[in-house]
Amino acid sequence: MTAEQYLLEIKNLSITYHAVHPPVKAVDGVSLQLRKGESLGIIGESGCGKSTLALGIMGLLKQVGVEGEIIYRGQNLVGLPEKRLRNYRWKDMAMVFQNSLEVLNPVLSIGEQIGEPLRAHYNLSPLEIDQKVVKLLEMAGLEPEWRHCYPHQLSGGMRQRVLLAMALSCDPELLIVDEPTTSLDPASKNEVLQLLQKLQKKSGFAMILISHDLGAVKKLTSRVMTLYCGRVVELGITSEVLKNPLHCYTRGLLNSSPNFFRYKDLWGIGGEPPPGGSIEGCAFYPRCCQGEESCRQARPPLRYVALERMVACHKGGIETFLRAEGIRKKYILKEREIEAVKGVSLEIKSGEVVALVGESGSGKSTLAHILAGVLPADAGQVFFKNKKVEGRWATKMVGGMQIIFQDPFSATSHRLKVLEVVREPLDIIKWGKRDEREEEAMKALQKVQLPVSPEFLNRYCYALSGGQRQRLAIARALVTKPKLLIADEVTSMLDPSTQANLLRELKALQNRHGFAMLYITHDLHLARKIADKVYVMYRGEIVETGVSFEIFENPEHVYTKRLLREAFRDLV
Amino acid sequence: MEYLFTIWVLVTLNFFLPRAMPGDPFLYLSADEGQEVARFSEEQRQYYLEYYGLDRPVAGQYLSYLADLLRGDLGYSLYYNEPVSAIILRRLPWTTFLVMAAVLLSTVSGTILGSLSAWYREKLLDKLLFFHLILLSEVPAFLLGLVLLFTFAAGLGLFPLSGAITHFASYSSWWEKLLDILHHAFLPVMALTIARLGGMYLLSRNSMTTVLEKDYLRTAWAKGLPQKRIIFRHALRNALLPIVTRVFLSLGSLVGGAILVENVFAYPGLGHLMREAVMVHDYPLVQGIFLVVTICVLLANFLADLVYRKLDPRIGDYSGIRGG
Repeated sequence: MTAEQYLLEIKNLSITYHAVHPPVKAVDGVSLQLRKGESLGIIGESGCGKSTLALGIMGLLKQVGVEGEIIYRGQNLVGLPEKRLRNYRWKDMAMVFQNSLEVLNPVLSIGEQIGEPLRAHYNLSPLEIDQKVVKLLEMAGLEPEWRHCYPHQLSGGMRQRVLLAMALSCDPELLIVDEPTTSLDPASKNEVLQLLQKLQKKSGFAMILISHDLGAVKKLTSRVMTLYCGRVVELGITSEVLKNPLHCYTRGLLNSSPNFFRYKDLWGIGGEPPPGGSIEGCAFYPRCCQGEESCRQARPPLRYVALERMVACHKGGIETFLRAEGIRKKYILKEREIEAVKGVSLEIKSGEVVALVGESGSGKSTLAHILAGVLPADAGQVFFKNKKVEGRWATKMVGGMQIIFQDPFSATSHRLKVLEVVREPLDIIKWGKRDEREEEAMKALQKVQLPVSPEFLNRYCYALSGGQRQRLAIARALVTKPKLLIADEVTSMLDPSTQANLLRELKALQNRHGFAMLYITHDLHLARKIADKVYVMYRGEIVETGVSFEIFENPEHVYTKRLLREAFRDLV
Repeated sequence: MEYLFTIWVLVTLNFFLPRAMPGDPFLYLSADEGQEVARFSEEQRQYYLEYYGLDRPVAGQYLSYLADLLRGDLGYSLYYNEPVSAIILRRLPWTTFLVMAAVLLSTVSGTILGSLSAWYREKLLDKLLFFHLILLSEVPAFLLGLVLLFTFAAGLGLFPLSGAITHFASYSSWWEKLLDILHHAFLPVMALTIARLGGMYLLSRNSMTTVLEKDYLRTAWAKGLPQKRIIFRHALRNALLPIVTRVFLSLGSLVGGAILVENVFAYPGLGHLMREAVMVHDYPLVQGIFLVVTICVLLANFLADLVYRKLDPRIGDYSGIRGG
């Protein structure tokens, strides 16, 4: 595709603020293309460079160093003198600024502010301008009388409409919309989004939507770009990216969005973004759940990982930790043959919580045991980090796979002391020296909030309560720093309060250390609270699978529907 | 309404203040300068008390004072033997002229220089302006007046030494007279202007710098407006608000400065008159001047309110819907 066919093409754009010391590189090598009438969403946390990029396209930044090219209709705008840029502004590319009290001039009337670009660019007569202003206000859903008012007399929602009417006054080809819905109540938010959608359909402008409201991005854009530390980390078709993010950062953003996961607890991305331009390797490495030392060395290039999907990650995006294919298992009781697992395939990616739900006896635990290599399968294969699981290697390593069983009493020997139970996995793999192992064991105990006093460490397990035993089992699993934790009904034997505490701790640990978790439960309330993805199992088969907000909102399979109906029937 | 009340309070103060002061006006009235020991006989004293109406009860005196004021009667000057109002009316225009000219000049030039400084912030022009104007603003008005008087009037002889107009001159046309007046007023006006310039410059530089950083200015740039429109319609319009406030608020202190400068240049304004009146203990005159000056300042404040309402739509807009 030639450059002429793009309305806007940005090539390797970097913007550095020189006024601060040390200089901050707010936009770092961003490239993007936008065709006529297309809409692109830019998402990312505050300070990731979204607004700088927008202002940079408009050429509105002062005291910055701009490198790269911003090509609008074949004309590079970088380095163009102010006088020539002025011709592009508003007539070709306009901007809906982020709504704030001072975004409009407080001493000029609304009408004057909407109309003045018309005078500047088209030299219309005052009467013509007034007619156009009336039309623009009506288009934005405001009564024309408001043009005689001043900005302070408007509500936040009305101001947003005025900003929109103002931006469209010269019929721009490209509209940059910066956070159109922040600080609006839900009703005005929806109205503004619908308005934007309607106007784009009508006027056919290309749009760059900058927002951390993923709902707005989903509604209004066809493609989406994730920006982190001024770098593009993921790029793809909006619906695909939001359903199946391939970069840990995009997934973190999704997990922090209440409008996607309605029931799930919100978990933000841990840590703070580093100041722009200060990182050599992957900028997300310090916060990434699958980061390895090698990520620190080089900057990951933005690469195609699938059709229309680019990700900047040394691992090619979110890694698949566990893959199971066609798992089958039969139990033979005296005369009967029970097919517990009938050809199940599943996938668990790094840092995600996958819930395996289904009623008792559906084969969940059997499957879990096979996945962990505890039970041999009749057919099928399991891969952990792309290596076939045979024997116990995957559970016998640091950073491997661990399983926590349903029953803590049989999982932790009552004849061992607390410290011994937790240390044992390290003893088995002969990791480090004895006192190093003990140190790790104490750390694991602290993680699950058990005491580390000598008195407690030397207590025998039979002297512990059910909740304590379960925590101990978790500590034992965590001591090898697993990348994947299989938790089989770990809270079913606990009272609601202990269950809540334990579950929150487990999820907090998962969020902090970023391991993946297969959470097996028949309790859909719990699954709904913590799961990113859901597998529904029925009579040894996976009948439905998907992103948790889709499964819980719109189940498709009859069994899932029934299961959900049964589970949530008693809800008022 | 508020202004009427303020005026009433001022008038009342003006009435009671001299009466609360220690001392006896008659002591000064009959005494020659330097000799304040002369005594009145009881008869004389009685005569004067009656003559000035001071023997009546205070409430009665107060009411008749108010009534006189309403008729524009400010009493009778003891020294000039003329109605106070007549003297003041003769002198008031000169002071008004001085003050107005100084306000206009200092505000306009201060705003222009300040805006230039803000526009070219941290550049050479800004640094030069800043340094020199700060220096100037530290010099008091009367000192500046003296320096100007010595160099330009006494030294170089470019301007007259005193007065507002050449005495006993006959003019062939009205503009010749105007020229003469301007010639006389030049130095005092300059002294006042320069003394105020530093403050105005700093204020407008500050105000303009703040406005230039505002979001709405970025909006204006984004709209691709001509630079002239951005500077005048968007930036200056907002930057003027604090400047206008300052101009009107500082009128009072400016009158104070005018009194000093008028004395330096022997300019026949209210300030000069005030000094004379104080020297000869002409209390009705001093009182009259005080009253007129305060009322003028109040008037200015009233005007400021009107102007401000026009400039800033956010002020006094209680009927409209307020943004949330």
